[in-house]
Amino acid sequence: MISLLDYYTTKFGELWEKSLSDLIQEAVNGVLKSSKLDKKQIDAIFLANMLAGVLENNLHTSAKLAELVGLNIPIYRVEAACASGGVSFNLAKNYLDANSDKNIIVIGAEKMTDYSPEETTQALSGAASGEEQEAGLTFPGLYGMMANFYFEKYGYSEKNLAHVSVKNHFHGSLNEKAQFRNKITIENVLQSPYVAHPLKVMDSAPISDGASAVILSNNQSIIRKSKHAIKVLSTQVINDTISLKSRKKLDEILATKIAADKAFQESKLKRANINVAEVHDCFSIAEILALEDLGFWKKGQGGKKVLENSTRWGSNSHLIVNTSGGLKAAGHPVGATGIKQIGEIFLQLTGQATNRQVKNVRYGLAHNVGGSGGTAVVTILGN
Amino acid sequence: MTSPVKIWRRQKEIRKFLGKTGTIVSWTKIFISGRGFKKYAPYPVIMVKIDNNQKIYGQLVDYENNNLKIGSKVIAVLRKVREASVDGIIAYGIKFKPLYENN
Repeated sequence: MISLLDYYTTKFGELWEKSLSDLIQEAVNGVLKSSKLDKKQIDAIFLANMLAGVLENNLHTSAKLAELVGLNIPIYRVEAACASGGVSFNLAKNYLDANSDKNIIVIGAEKMTDYSPEETTQALSGAASGEEQEAGLTFPGLYGMMANFYFEKYGYSEKNLAHVSVKNHFHGSLNEKAQFRNKITIENVLQSPYVAHPLKVMDSAPISDGASAVILSNNQSIIRKSKHAIKVLSTQVINDTISLKSRKKLDEILATKIAADKAFQESKLKRANINVAEVHDCFSIAEILALEDLGFWKKGQGGKKVLENSTRWGSNSHLIVNTSGGLKAAGHPVGATGIKQIGEIFLQLTGQATNRQVKNVRYGLAHNVGGSGGTAVVTILGN
Repeated sequence: MTSPVKIWRRQKEIRKFLGKTGTIVSWTKIFISGRGFKKYAPYPVIMVKIDNNQKIYGQLVDYENNNLKIGSKVIAVLRKVREASVDGIIAYGIKFKPLYENN
């Protein structure tokens, strides 16, 4: 059995005093210290990063990381847009399936706030199709198209979406590592300026810096000694067309659906067994689509279900979503996000989620998306 | 990065779409753009199903806000699509105009 032993994340936010290397170093040192493992016990590292090559002409990050940590071990850098973190976790798990008695650090890191919005938007749009880029589409624009399609088909409006951000900001207020700790109202969301109609600033994940790291192991003697070992029950990566226009449906992310079905099949769990989930809310509409495509809500009902606030911390429902604050409030340093999601589930399952701890949690799910749905990763963890 | 040769390669495809009509499948209006599009913002981008059922994207020009509706009819036109690159090459491509019944 492969187990998740520990987790550390830097604070997410506009961390002007910290470089990408500083963030990576903090996350590696943090997770080693917390797990009480010596760096010499680490057999491989997987590093998720999307933008360093484009934004800061920073490539060959595996060797830079080797210099930083002072280790001669295999280090792999993974890029799958905003799903880089989830995909790197999946690859690390596959590495352990192929190699016995190993300990691995999986780290996701991103430095985004050194640049103007146009530069970062441009760099991110490299993860869209050439035709989408040529039409002047951005990621908010692609999700805006999905939102307008969803509104038209099921009769919802911007107000339905606003509930997602209000809930996630409430959760962010409980997470000391979150970029935004302020609670907001429906009016705050509706009065914020548009990024890409119908999505507004307060429907959108911010541009962030941050790094998150976990330790994965299949070394049974280390796992036995670990205070907080959590089982990795399944992790599934599915790809789909890069272009939104090439998909059969605009109100669903098919890659999420397939990955979720496979993960539930492998873990032999039902949707009702999941108590906490971190889903990819890069935009408010994305959380609604995710909860439908993961099979927690029926297609088309998400716009109505969000009004019940059942996924909010403190509600009596069996499923609480995005206790970290989600991408919206915790922040979205793209390479780090997938690892932070898995880390948040780890904190919940090991009773370490402090003032946002959900009671009686046994199983959790993390859902990470790249682009407008060209990559989806679903990971299920359990006690 | 948009190199002159890339623009040349793409532009060979444009003529296939000129004058084609279709309907809006979905739309958005971009307020925060990427580099090369800033001076056009805010601008609407639509996904269009053209009459042979193929789907393409393009910006909507010469429009009123009530044209931004799923199901509205549009026609493909040739337009400059982004600010000129440092090489000075002007990139042309497909944009759309609303198609009115009496056109």
